[in-house]
Amino acid sequence: MSPEPREVFPKDTKKTYGLMALVKGTSPMVEKGPEDTVMSWPNLLVMEALAMLGTGVLLLAGSILVSAPLREMANPDVTENPAKAPWYFLNLQELLMHMHPALAGVVIPGIVILLIMMIPYFDRSKKDIGVWFASPKGRKIALVSTMYTLILIPATIIFDEFVRVRSLLNKPEIFPGWIIPIGVTGGLIVVLYAIILFWRPNRREVLVGLFTGFVVTYFLLILSGTLFRGMGMRLTLPWDLPPGALTF
Amino acid sequence: MTRQSLSQKLTGNRVWKSIFRVPNTGNDENRARIIAESFFWHIHPVKVKTHSLKITYTWGLGVISFFLFLLLTFTGIWLMFFYTPSVDTAYQNISELETRVNYGILIRTMHRWGAHLMVLAVFLHLCRVFFTGSYKRPREFNWVVGVLLWLITLLLSFTGYLLPWDQLSYWAVTVGTNIAASIPVIGEQLRVLVLGSKEIGQDTLTRFYALHVMVLPVVMSILIGVHFWRIRKDGGLSSPMEQEEDVNGGER
Repeated sequence: MSPEPREVFPKDTKKTYGLMALVKGTSPMVEKGPEDTVMSWPNLLVMEALAMLGTGVLLLAGSILVSAPLREMANPDVTENPAKAPWYFLNLQELLMHMHPALAGVVIPGIVILLIMMIPYFDRSKKDIGVWFASPKGRKIALVSTMYTLILIPATIIFDEFVRVRSLLNKPEIFPGWIIPIGVTGGLIVVLYAIILFWRPNRREVLVGLFTGFVVTYFLLILSGTLFRGMGMRLTLPWDLPPGALTF
Repeated sequence: MTRQSLSQKLTGNRVWKSIFRVPNTGNDENRARIIAESFFWHIHPVKVKTHSLKITYTWGLGVISFFLFLLLTFTGIWLMFFYTPSVDTAYQNISELETRVNYGILIRTMHRWGAHLMVLAVFLHLCRVFFTGSYKRPREFNWVVGVLLWLITLLLSFTGYLLPWDQLSYWAVTVGTNIAASIPVIGEQLRVLVLGSKEIGQDTLTRFYALHVMVLPVVMSILIGVHFWRIRKDGGLSSPMEQEEDVNGGER
């Protein structure tokens, strides 16, 4: 049996057949202020090209000036001293020196990443979208949070290096490994939170304060691990670092 | 026949017109069609907010991160031509880039510094998005995608770190993977899973190489696609024009 012939509709000369879709909602400019847009070509595309070109040129120039390092061939029998992770993990390695490795390397980073991912589901207000640090108050809170972190993180590192929590209390292991570090870390965050509340902030401004604390800590620990850790990962001044202590 | 200028000859022929379908004649209709009738329509609207072009708003960090990803892909493929992931030859391959390959050191250096720069640029981009409140409705999930992209950037850099097979690689990866071993109960198995054996060796190099040149770049490309597509669908970059008085209880 042959298939039924399909009906072909003739083209209507009065129709353009140009309308492709109907979309829900209004046009983007309804209930908006005066139009404040520019054509993507050339404005946006040229800026993007310039950003790429600039990055490329700077990278090329830097690469001509300083070549990538290559040390001796890998040898499991010769330990590097200090043995460091890549620089962007040195914040974790710094934590490692003050607490149980599972806490420093798994629990804390895991919780931090989860919390960061949850931010938008926690802060749902659209009140200050598109504004750096949310508000003048948020700016002040970020500044205070930066100073708080800049003072207390180095102080904590130096305390643990020269006084050593372990020399004060090392048994049972759960104290220096878990309870004290959790207490100190948690305490630092709670105190920061209490200071932030002093300004009567909204939820977004609280988050700005806490996230600032995280970012500053993140960079401080990288700096400490990179520039201030020498032989045996002891605290050292940058100009006393042994050769090979920089892991780029 | 009238004389044509060089640029007219260049842009007037069939080949050029088959690639760039809309002439760049400088009226807004054509400027719109240049976007709407080209690949860029997938990632850019015809018009963008003036606000999103402000350098002090974005610092170009997203574009810079993406450019570095492209640059790392190309220099990385180039490096693959001269590299065998074997503990016997890997180190030699890399050190011979200096003597046997034209611009060998330069391209390897750009790959390495570019990777460091990308780790930095991606993190700064994440900070920019946070501090301008750009993760808010409807961009919540794109923030999550962005955090994943940051983590993949770190993993890409870390897996690449081992490949030169020098002392720096070896001990950095030793330190890094020892952290995994510290997890109670499953730690040791997890380390073996990552390393492919009890110690860093050929199995580790094979795994890290496969992850570095294949698995992670593919995952990253897919996520970048989703990330860009969502930016487009969510109305481009965030701006203060989207502010609303609270409906969802952001106030404490």
